[in-house]
Amino acid sequence: MKTRKKLWLIFGPVIIAAIAVWLVLLLPFSHQRISQDSLKHGAVSLSTNVYHGQLFKKQAFSENYVPFLGSSELLRMDPLHPSVLAAKYHRSYQPFLLGNAGSQSLNHFFTLQGVHPQLQGKKIVYIISPQWFTKRGQEPDAFSFYYSPLQAIQWLLSVNDSTATRYAAKRLLEMPSGKASSTIAAALNKVAKGERLNQSDRFLLNLRLRILLNEDALFSRFSLADHWKTIEKGERLLPSHDSDTLLTKTAIQLAKKHTNNNTFGIDNHFYSERLRGSRINGLRNSQKHYDYRQSPEYSDLELLLTEFKQLNANVLFVIPPINQKWATYTGLPLPMLQETATKIKYQLRSQGFNHIADLTNDTHANYMMQDTIHLGWLGWLKVDEKVNPFLTQTQAQPRYQLNSYFFTPQWQKSLTLQKSDGTNGK
Amino acid sequence: MINLQPYSNPAYFGILLIALLPVIIGLYFGRRLKIYESIFTLAFLILTFGGDHWHQGAALILYTCYQVLLTMGFTHYRWNKNQTTIFVSAVILSILPLIIVKFTPLFPNYNGFNIGFLGISYLTFKTVQVIMELRDGTIKEISWSQYLHFLLFFPTISSGPIDRYRRFIKDYENVPDRSAYLDDVSKAVFYLIQGFLYKYILGYIFGTLLLPNVARAAMSQSSAFGGTGISWYLLGYMYVYSMYLFFDFAGYSLFAVSISYFMGIKTPMNFNKPFLAHNIKEFWNRWHMTLSFWFRDFIFMRFTFWVMKHRWVKNRVRMSQLAYLVNFLIMGFWHGLTWYYIVYGLFHAAAIIINDYWLRYKKNHADKIPHNKFTEGLAIFVTFNIVCFSFLIFSGFLNQLWF
Repeated sequence: MKTRKKLWLIFGPVIIAAIAVWLVLLLPFSHQRISQDSLKHGAVSLSTNVYHGQLFKKQAFSENYVPFLGSSELLRMDPLHPSVLAAKYHRSYQPFLLGNAGSQSLNHFFTLQGVHPQLQGKKIVYIISPQWFTKRGQEPDAFSFYYSPLQAIQWLLSVNDSTATRYAAKRLLEMPSGKASSTIAAALNKVAKGERLNQSDRFLLNLRLRILLNEDALFSRFSLADHWKTIEKGERLLPSHDSDTLLTKTAIQLAKKHTNNNTFGIDNHFYSERLRGSRINGLRNSQKHYDYRQSPEYSDLELLLTEFKQLNANVLFVIPPINQKWATYTGLPLPMLQETATKIKYQLRSQGFNHIADLTNDTHANYMMQDTIHLGWLGWLKVDEKVNPFLTQTQAQPRYQLNSYFFTPQWQKSLTLQKSDGTNGK
Repeated sequence: MINLQPYSNPAYFGILLIALLPVIIGLYFGRRLKIYESIFTLAFLILTFGGDHWHQGAALILYTCYQVLLTMGFTHYRWNKNQTTIFVSAVILSILPLIIVKFTPLFPNYNGFNIGFLGISYLTFKTVQVIMELRDGTIKEISWSQYLHFLLFFPTISSGPIDRYRRFIKDYENVPDRSAYLDDVSKAVFYLIQGFLYKYILGYIFGTLLLPNVARAAMSQSSAFGGTGISWYLLGYMYVYSMYLFFDFAGYSLFAVSISYFMGIKTPMNFNKPFLAHNIKEFWNRWHMTLSFWFRDFIFMRFTFWVMKHRWVKNRVRMSQLAYLVNFLIMGFWHGLTWYYIVYGLFHAAAIIINDYWLRYKKNHADKIPHNKFTEGLAIFVTFNIVCFSFLIFSGFLNQLWF
């Protein structure tokens, strides 16, 4: 009797704790709702827990939030930022910002998993940076930062075999994050070969999925970066009427005030923190050899396009300009940039993605950029000129015809817009 | 093939505890399942040193054969003779593989077979200790199977704590009675959970969440303070790194001790609230204890006796100072052949020598120096900061910051 009591005193607390943990992880908690206020904060937080999870996205996309996929420019929250404009003028939509420095098409493909029913037939804004299209394409470290096993599992449990599916599985296996979990890696290996997952694969993935969903439901609302204050501050600086002339005036005024310590039209703070002094000298002519025309990123983009097609989504693509004064200083070849934009546009148009706002022609204009490559003031306003009508007016139902040629290394490396069959694209 | 790194993820603990269940039940009923333990040790060694890490596995096998032959050979020799040159050669031969491993990074172009493996230092501590005790005559006989169990005891194989042969064998050959074993198991459970708290919660907060941020902030100030890079962020890095180092290593040590206790082996503890030490001497009795006691017994004491025997230094104070210097310098070299490990060793030698001066002064002027709660607090505060500063040197961060 005495030893039994002793055993209970040793193991009792551990057993109770273990049961409690497993209950918390395995009981379904998914019916949680988020208050409108936290949704507002979540939409502009750019936090990875929002990006990795589905709690926020699910609820946001069943309301009037529109996904704005992009990268570091989303953080440039000056008063002309889409989120500020939409909030100030009570537009019929609110941007839900997804992405931050380093997130590219491959991450965005996965972040849209798990919210398919909510996004079906919806509109999406996608800001494509030419800077993603480097020789290596997606950096594995940045990918890991935005990668969420939850989304990988949701995708694995819903896939049908196709070129795109096999491509996605192979791409994920090339990243360290794809190999981090042996369950996921085993499933990816099967899917990459076109094999089906068996019952035990699915059971293990579902078990892990349940745990991850509960973690998301329990923890994703914590430690959000609070950018809502910046949005409110921006609102106070905007004219009370949603008028193009007034907004242009405000944008120029603000841009002038914030870029007066340098001749590049770069935000004062950015310039003094990141460039001033010896640092800037090292950057002269440093981008001479940059080339965005050949990159695996083109096929990652294609993967995301298949996702858009599956969602039957109407997508506006924004290709931002760059700061020409800065480009001249760093020696970035502008014709190369134009060719990159042309290649991207060709890939989009030839498959039926016709809503494109290519701002690369506005590269020479003043006050377009907040710093070297990130949209700001007038640039955001230019984006708004396209985004606002696109989102507030009814658009024709798109018809996409996808071409798996865009998954091939030939297309990634192609410098002409020639298709595999020899026909000439424009 | 699967490869499991010791104590690295929940799966490892799951597999380990399930595999240990027969051992635990056996001990509960007063039996040690030696054959099962041997098979299970082998299986875990294969999981740790197999698969992608097979090079390490091969190195471990070679190393173990070498050390067993050396030790058995020396044991046989010692039955009849006791020449110092043979003893010194045996010690040198025993350390040789470790010395080669420590020198390998100095030859970055060397692409041949690397004889290193995870835990080679800790095995070397064990082999040297046995040879020294054979010389002393405190160990007379060694059976190769007991020696292998001692050497390859897998809970401690990768990073200690460093156990002693006679202590280990006593536990291994005895089965505790039920009530004593339940006390062990109770401690084992407690240490395991404490280890989780240390390594996976506190170590994670300091090492994964905070450390990269303070490191980045400190690096951005590399031109601060006249180019020395001394900034508030560097101070932040110093404390965060110290906390990370402690919780990560103490957490790991708790796992090793916990698993040992489940197996009825009372592996000694490695840490005893080190940041509450009143002075550097006390700190080394609380921090990485099995290492510092090993150095005390097999470097500091041996060196002291050796010098005394030859009457090279007559002054006792000078001699202990010299012994500290040798002791910590060797410890520095053991950590690795970089300037910051060696400076770390020298720094601690200097700190403990100064500390000795102070303790002697305090003893001679006991009537004039106040002693109360406040002075104790001050002593703990000063010791803590000196230790944290030494860890800043140890971290190698200054190397990144300056060069």
